[in-house]
Amino acid sequence: MKKISRTIHLAAQRLRLFFSACALAGLWTLSARAADVKPTDAKPVIDPSADKVLKRMGDYLAQAPFFSVNAEVWQDIQLGSGQQIQAGRTIDLQVRRPDRFHAEVHSTRRNRGLFYDGKSITLFNRVQNFYGSVPAPATLDQALDTASERFGIAMPLEDLVVSDPYQSAMQKIVSGRDIGPVTVLGIPCEHLAFSLGTVDWQIWIEDGAKPVPRKIVITYKDEEGTPEYTAIFSNWDFQTKLPDFLFTFEPPAGASKIDVAEIKTENQTHKNEGK
Amino acid sequence: MKFANSISCRKIGVGLAALLVAWPLLYAQRQQQSERAEPAPRSEPAPRSQPSRAPVQRSQPAVVNRTNHGSVRRVDTHVAERPVQRPVEARPGFNGNHDVYVHHDVDVDVRHDRFWHGFRYGARFGILPVGYISLMVGGSPYYYDDGLYYQQAGDSYQEVYPPVGADVPELPDGAIAIDAGGQTYYYAGGAFYVQQDNGYNVAPPPIGVTVPELPPGAVQVAVNGGVAYQFNGIYYRPVFADGVTQYMTFMP
Repeated sequence: MKKISRTIHLAAQRLRLFFSACALAGLWTLSARAADVKPTDAKPVIDPSADKVLKRMGDYLAQAPFFSVNAEVWQDIQLGSGQQIQAGRTIDLQVRRPDRFHAEVHSTRRNRGLFYDGKSITLFNRVQNFYGSVPAPATLDQALDTASERFGIAMPLEDLVVSDPYQSAMQKIVSGRDIGPVTVLGIPCEHLAFSLGTVDWQIWIEDGAKPVPRKIVITYKDEEGTPEYTAIFSNWDFQTKLPDFLFTFEPPAGASKIDVAEIKTENQTHKNEGK
Repeated sequence: MKFANSISCRKIGVGLAALLVAWPLLYAQRQQQSERAEPAPRSEPAPRSQPSRAPVQRSQPAVVNRTNHGSVRRVDTHVAERPVQRPVEARPGFNGNHDVYVHHDVDVDVRHDRFWHGFRYGARFGILPVGYISLMVGGSPYYYDDGLYYQQAGDSYQEVYPPVGADVPELPDGAIAIDAGGQTYYYAGGAFYVQQDNGYNVAPPPIGVTVPELPPGAVQVAVNGGVAYQFNGIYYRPVFADGVTQYMTFMP
């Protein structure tokens, strides 16, 4: 009798242990899954005022059939010694929706043109008189993706060029807030700050009837030295019509046509190698 | 006694359960912290006396340098790799700035004068640069300093093309890592170096690779009606890569 009782007791003990282990395993799995959820998966926390101002700007640009703007861009560069410096350039941008783009990028030693005419993207190195073209899709959004993802071409200021700047900007936002009213080069603006997690960005949007961006700063917190990209905008023009010829590249005398290489990925060579 | 054992068993059980629950959370948090803390690829300067330096770390494959792009849409693109850097050394008659960041898809103005940028084939000097080393390549004597090669010509020294097969203890300043055909090359001054046990060896130039700048002293030529450049028997064709002008090696 004693033996049977002892056996039952042992069996009950083992069952308790088994169920405890199952419960612990379940808890462990749940906590592991919870830990896998990154902050970026959480619902963005955006100040309604910041959202409203950003949307107003996005809608204004999206509804503009054409515009031109000048930008002065400053970009942090880290030297090999670890010292950080800023390098500058200017960008003259012309956009005609839905399928025209022209940018001229100038700096002391570089001078480049980028053209998109609804059929092709053309790069023009004005210093060396080289140009190259690649076929492009029929809309600006698709052309921007093709340029960046297939050819590694940074189309300047593309955040303002896309068909829906607000939706494009909102895609990866984790948090956003309205810092308040400030002036940029004497122009009253609303200062907004957003975070994408590892990247922060700020935008200063003009108050009043023309809610255009006057300044943008992107801070790359996940890179050494947290480099920043700053663009300051001027001469917004929504009145002057932009005819076709502005977006169509005509090679000047003596210009040489060269290939445009596709992005090189691991174990992949340029398509035009060996030609 | 039995009660005490039961209490301690319960304590252990609770502790174990807490550990099992907390572990994944702590691990994940630590992993996120380490992801955040991971710096961008950067090569640290090494003392000149070191026989060799660690290879350049490189970025993930693809795409537009995001800092250069300045686009919120493209924040997932990768940072560019940085060239090998070495400490600045004073050289008589050379005021180049060795302390620069260069990458082929950075569309900004930064001076990038290297010692070897001054290469002129056949240029003669009465003395060798401070810090030169002697090499034997294919039975011929050479002298080397920071990407430049010299041979004796009478009572002077003449700049010559980088001889394939030369072994040097460290890479020239500003060498850029290039992967081709499963091999990592380090490009500087028109030479393609490969790492070996005790330094670097000048390899035959790989064909079909893209370099961000022409070798110093490359001569413009016309090949099949197109623009090309020639340096030490190798041809370079201009090409837009990553949206900016670079040069691809080829043989006509």
